[in-house]
Amino acid sequence: MDAALIPEGAKRCSFPKFMLGIAIVGAVLLWGVYAMLLCWFKGLNQTNMNDYYGFALWIWADLAVIAIGGGAFFTGLLKYIFKVDELKNIINFAVIIGFICYSSALLILAIDIGQPLRGWFIFWHANVHSMLTEVAFCLSCYFAVLTIEFIPNILENRQLNKVPFFHHLAHNMHGVMAIFAATGAFLSFFHQGSLGGVAGVLYGRPFAVREGLLIWPWTFFLFTWSAAAFGPCFTLLVTRITEAVTGKKLVKDNVVHLLAKISGWMICTYIIAKIIDTIYWATVTAPGIGFEMSHFYTNNSFYGYWILVTEIVICGVIPGILLINKSTRENPTLRLLAIILAVIGVCLNRWVMVLQVVAVPVMSFDTWALYIPSWQEVATTILPVAYGIILIAVTYRYLPVFPQELELNKSKAQES
Amino acid sequence: MKVDRRSFLGLGLGAVAGIAISPVGAKLTDDSSIWTQNWPWTPVPPDGKISYDHSVCSLCPGTCGITVRKIDGRPVKIEGRDTYPVNNGGACLHGIAGLQYLYDPCRVTTPLKKINDRFEPISWKEAIALAAGHLGRIRKNDQAHTLACITDTDQGSVAGLFSHFMTAFGSPNHFVMPTLESWLALTAQTLHGKGYTLGFDLENADFILSFGAGILEGWGSPVACFKANSSRKQRKAKLYQIEHRLSTTAAAADRWIPVTPGTEADLAMAMCGVLLTENLFDSEFAAGFKGGFNRFNAMVQQKYPVEKVAAATGISAADIKKIAIAFARAKMPVAIPGKGRGDGAQSLKEFAAVHTLNCLTGNVNKKGGTFIKPVHDYLAFPDPVLDTAAKDGFGKAKLGASVQEMVTNINQSADPLVTALFVYNANPCYTLNDPSQTRAAFEKIPFVVSFSSFMDETAMASDLILPVSTFLERLEDVPSRAGLANSVVGLTRPVLDPVFDTRSAGDTVIQLAKTLGGDMARSFAWNNYRACLEDVAAGVWEDLSGNGYALLAEGPPTDSVETSFAFLSDNPQTIYPQGDYALTLVPIDNMRLPGTVPAASPFAIKTVSDRVLKGKDVCVEINPDTANGLTDGGFATLTTPTGSARVRVNFNEGIMPGVIGMVKGLGHTFDNKYVAGKGVNIHELISPVIEPGSGLDAACGTTAAISKA
Amino acid sequence: MIQDKKAHKYGMVIDLDKCTGCGSCTVSCMSENNIPFKEDESDKKDSITWMRVYKLTNGKSFPDTQITYLPRPCQHCGGKGDHGHSPCVSVCPATATDYGYDTGIVSQIYTRCFGCRYCMVSCPYHARYFNWWDPIWPEGMEKYLSPNVSPRMRGVVEKCSFCYHRYQLAREKAYYDGTHEIAEDAYQTACTTACPAGAIIFGDLNNPSHKVHQIVKPDPHPDPLNRDVVGKSRNPKVFRLLERLGTNPKVYYMSEREWVRKLGDNYLDGEWEKVKNHYGAASHE
Ligand SMILES: Nc1nc2c(c(=O)[nH]1)N[C@H]1C(S)=C(S)[C@@H](COP(=O)(O)OP(=O)(O)OC[C@H]3O[C@@H](n4cnc5c(=O)[nH]c(N)nc54)[C@H](O)[C@@H]3O)O[C@H]1N2
Ligand SMILES: Nc1nc2c(c(=O)[nH]1)N[C@H]1C(S)=C(S)[C@@H](COP(=O)(O)OP(=O)(O)OC[C@H]3O[C@@H](n4cnc5c(=O)[nH]c(N)nc54)[C@H](O)[C@@H]3O)O[C@H]1N2
Ligand code: SF4
Ligand code: SF4
Ligand code: SF4
Ligand code: SF4
Ligand code: SF4
Ligand SMILES: [Mo]
Repeated sequence: MDAALIPEGAKRCSFPKFMLGIAIVGAVLLWGVYAMLLCWFKGLNQTNMNDYYGFALWIWADLAVIAIGGGAFFTGLLKYIFKVDELKNIINFAVIIGFICYSSALLILAIDIGQPLRGWFIFWHANVHSMLTEVAFCLSCYFAVLTIEFIPNILENRQLNKVPFFHHLAHNMHGVMAIFAATGAFLSFFHQGSLGGVAGVLYGRPFAVREGLLIWPWTFFLFTWSAAAFGPCFTLLVTRITEAVTGKKLVKDNVVHLLAKISGWMICTYIIAKIIDTIYWATVTAPGIGFEMSHFYTNNSFYGYWILVTEIVICGVIPGILLINKSTRENPTLRLLAIILAVIGVCLNRWVMVLQVVAVPVMSFDTWALYIPSWQEVATTILPVAYGIILIAVTYRYLPVFPQELELNKSKAQES
Repeated sequence: MKVDRRSFLGLGLGAVAGIAISPVGAKLTDDSSIWTQNWPWTPVPPDGKISYDHSVCSLCPGTCGITVRKIDGRPVKIEGRDTYPVNNGGACLHGIAGLQYLYDPCRVTTPLKKINDRFEPISWKEAIALAAGHLGRIRKNDQAHTLACITDTDQGSVAGLFSHFMTAFGSPNHFVMPTLESWLALTAQTLHGKGYTLGFDLENADFILSFGAGILEGWGSPVACFKANSSRKQRKAKLYQIEHRLSTTAAAADRWIPVTPGTEADLAMAMCGVLLTENLFDSEFAAGFKGGFNRFNAMVQQKYPVEKVAAATGISAADIKKIAIAFARAKMPVAIPGKGRGDGAQSLKEFAAVHTLNCLTGNVNKKGGTFIKPVHDYLAFPDPVLDTAAKDGFGKAKLGASVQEMVTNINQSADPLVTALFVYNANPCYTLNDPSQTRAAFEKIPFVVSFSSFMDETAMASDLILPVSTFLERLEDVPSRAGLANSVVGLTRPVLDPVFDTRSAGDTVIQLAKTLGGDMARSFAWNNYRACLEDVAAGVWEDLSGNGYALLAEGPPTDSVETSFAFLSDNPQTIYPQGDYALTLVPIDNMRLPGTVPAASPFAIKTVSDRVLKGKDVCVEINPDTANGLTDGGFATLTTPTGSARVRVNFNEGIMPGVIGMVKGLGHTFDNKYVAGKGVNIHELISPVIEPGSGLDAACGTTAAISKA
Repeated sequence: MIQDKKAHKYGMVIDLDKCTGCGSCTVSCMSENNIPFKEDESDKKDSITWMRVYKLTNGKSFPDTQITYLPRPCQHCGGKGDHGHSPCVSVCPATATDYGYDTGIVSQIYTRCFGCRYCMVSCPYHARYFNWWDPIWPEGMEKYLSPNVSPRMRGVVEKCSFCYHRYQLAREKAYYDGTHEIAEDAYQTACTTACPAGAIIFGDLNNPSHKVHQIVKPDPHPDPLNRDVVGKSRNPKVFRLLERLGTNPKVYYMSEREWVRKLGDNYLDGEWEKVKNHYGAASHE
């Protein structure tokens, strides 16, 4: 039915089957949209946030998707600037995942703020001292870059590509993509960093505050580094899921191994820095303002030391080691385990840097603040996931996302 | 023109680009944000000319001077009035929130008549005619004495008008709700004779021995007490607080002395004994004692030996002695009675025993001491014209010494003792212990008329409501009550026209009398309440209308008074918490929750701690030591001999083990989502116990049990 | 007409030994500043109270328990080194909250705020409140609203302004009166004038004739133990909340009771004993 749109030679499921899948995920999407409309029209009382939990599930989701979307800028950087050519086989997909992550982040922000129609004040009345201003500017610019990076892939659609203008446009855009990749890497460096800065500059919040370099607290660098380290894991994870769902191999093992290896080394270096940071914070920064480390991990029913161990050791050190070690890296099961742990690890880090920050009592007579998100928050957080699945399904179906797909599935295609 | 794909795409892109660079987008973006800044459902208060009115707050017996800021005549803020002789700047939260009462969702906005358990609005003319018809029939049937009347006080011209009405009508049954002032007056009357009341010069005393008096919880005139406490801190004057719980007053005190609830009277007696045996009493004053000084002395020594009282109170014998001696040796000691706010159920024995401590020190009618003040009658009502119905009726016996006794008598009698009842500015169906008894008595009364501003529990139980303007909409003289050293009368003035179709109760009473006609009308010759006030308060009117207040007496009274110990020498019985449960439930007076009329404002409720009220549940205080198996914040069932309630538990290290504290002022059942339907009315859990000798309810608590719900 | 250009530094001292926890300051603030209320205000984490009164205990068991009340308006933080980079001001991306260098007051511009709540997260005192709901008054009750302070719309943050409109009125009056000088009693906040216990003292910390200055005796030099801290009190009974963070609040607290003063900040085990007698250097006097 839609055969004319499907990349030449590629095998796709039947249109009705495709639409059925889309409809199921679309139902979840509509649920999220309903919750989103509730938040817009009735206000943020639809959430369980409160004056202690001013930042909650959404901001975590925001930071998390940006972190795991970091695969786009980092893969782009490697491919276009450091000329790691094998990565051309996964860059399209990395860009799409990045696009999904960043558009989701912007959508979440639009739901999260109390006055969405005034959202642009962040640009118009910008306060240069605010990390959030830096985030907003870099995030928007980088989203534009991602869109530009995404366009050539769209134009490669079988029908669009027949239009000579689009054909040439796509071709020429590929040619200058290094410039955009460089711009994107630069922008990403800052907004990933400034997201880290968002927490690190909070000198009223002893759990978050970090010393640093010039105006940038250490979290600035840690966030950038961790996004670069863990982002590719998410790209690999989604690739693996796509392969599982489509029942096809889409990217060659050597590409996967390479990206996993780079990611592994990044994780290892990051986690060393993170451990040093944590030790310095726990032994110098926090005690300097009167806090024992135990203050942040005891006397409440949720935030125990387990979260620190999980984030740093189980979801940091372990995946790092698994990925730098050739034998474990090339073992599909262990590699999958490593990338899953890594993705959890970076998400947990963002959770801690948003939610634990506000949960910890600061005034000596304050108490821990715990919160459980409302269904509206959960639905609007799942909304981008549904949207992401649909976008991946559509792009996979109609665009030549994986250059190695035909080659890898040739025999099967010929057999049938 | 043939629209091919190229030109279509070109057109589309062109249009998008065109709109993007045109100012339309920017304009819409800007407009939408401006729209959010002017949402029509977010009110914009109109601006105007600022003016200030002086008046007096009469939300509690404190009678603070207030200043009302108005914008084009519209009141927007209440603040304490500087240089007012009661509060001298500053006001309590209830006074400051006073404007909320004007627009309270529970306000009675027009006269209402109950038809088949529902209230229907009627006109004032119909309402007065209805009441007059009823009362006329009672009088005609020689039943005048079966009209009863409950007011919040017996002072001031509005209470005076009710009293005047009752006399002229022919009924002795005018009752006053128990307030600190009524207890103080009763104490003074018992020890010194009729016409006296007590005042305490807390501003100058150097040692205050408080028997649970919540001077920071709303006792007396709250703002004046707060100021006295602050000046006390500066003067380094001592405060010893004897109380079962670490109240705010106890926390501010130099010493907190926990005491077993209900034994305060015994403690005061024992301390009297210490003063007598240690020869620490003022002999000059002792010489003037009537009623057998030696008899009193012997009784105290015999019945209240320090060791015995130590066991009952939980305070060691040595401490009792030390405290009593420290008190007696102070230069300007004052002992103050009246637990919590000092209203509601109290014990005359306790008041008398505490006041006796003051008498024994001799620091009476001196600066920094206790003032035995004549009740200043600045009002001169003409004698009512008494026809035979009035004379007959008025001569009949009163239905009891207190509202509570009247309620008991009505419920116990087969005859209709009361056929009509007026209630003014009181909520007995909520504030009396075991209010179900009050409601049952109200059921038996065929015609209950409520003079109320709000649809509260008592108004709901009445047959006719004659709505009263709030203190911001009416004229009224308000004499200072509640234990102040000075005697001041202030003038509450209307700062705006009545918001609804309401009137001053004074006007309504006069109108009612006029409608009844005959001698009743002749007793109420004034055209309206204002004329009446100017007439009966003529002696102080110039000051009242000029300054907004008149100072009736200042400084220590000069007349000498006699003291009689007859009441105490008979060793009246002490009322302990009743029942067989192991724990004791006692009410907590909390400054942020009024216990009587009017109920709390939304602002006041908003300030209540989540350790007191959580959602719709009241939290009861209990020492973790006593909290056998209960968890902090968990639900529990509280049971007393009178009833049981579902509550939450609030662990408090500052309450004596064995005691459960529950706040007063919650559990209202009227229709105001901000204030009512929250928590439990503690009075529902306590049964009244009439104290012999006073005839008043003295049940300051009850025994209780608590278990996990 | 904006004449009084001298740099003031408005601040408060709250005497915790006098404070009775009565809540008049809270209600006066709510009434003065058109703060709304809703059906259930018992969840204190979403209950707008610019002035919140905390009840604190010494943590001891019966009968050694003690309590104190601690009223908490916005602390009008001067930020690290008292340079005006308050925790909240420095983070607001839209400049919707600002530091007044002429007054020391941290302002909040409701019509500018777009509700990102970053400022709330940055404030360790929980002094900032979000309008989760539209403010709704029972029918007719909006008639008592004051025109001096605009009611806030849903979706924005609000907080104590040190009754800025009273400052504006005082400034205008000073101009009309030709004095150009705002007298101490001409500008007093609504909580100060309401307090029946006289526990709140408000004025210009920069002005030696004002009571706040005389009580606090602020040390204008950085604290040698922590260079971020400026304006430490030279009165041993006076302290600030979380002073060690370097937020430099302009609200000071006073108590004779050591346990109360200790509650003002966080200390490692044994640390309090070492620093409890360290206050603003007398040598700077
Ligand atoms: N601290 C502080 N600073 C502020 C503000 C604030 O709220 N606080 N507000 C800011 C704002 S919003 C504004 S608009 C500015 C206003 O600040 P300015 O523009 O300085 O306003 P004014 O002082 O009201 O007026 C300026 C001068 O104009 C004179 N004037 C009046 N009528 C005329 C006329 O017809 N012709 C001429 N030539 N002169 C005339 C007045 O006498 C006065 O001397 O201040 C800003 N600065
Ligand atoms: N009387 C008088 N009227 C004027 C002017 C004047 O100088 N005097 N100037 C005119 C001019 S130029 C302008 S721009 C408009 C401005 O008029 P508006 O935009 O109304 O500005 P303001 O009255 O300054 O502030 C608005 C409200 O914000 C409240 N607010 C709360 N917190 C803060 C805070 O932290 N800071 C500030 N600034 N306000 C706070 C104030 O109390 C006030 O109620 O007024 C115009 N009208
Ligand atoms: S203490 Fe009583 S009289 Fe004074 S302001 Fe409060 S409610 Fe009114
Ligand atoms: S008004 Fe004064 S005494 Fe009452 S809580 Fe506020 S500061 Fe304390
Ligand atoms: S107390 Fe909070 S809101 Fe106030 S200035 Fe300090 S950080 Fe900002
Ligand atoms: S919530 Fe408003 S004031 Fe706070 S940081 Fe965001 S925009 Fe600024
Ligand atoms: S200074 Fe004004 S705004 Fe701040 S708490 Fe006091 S009354 Fe409220
Ligand atoms: Mo302006």
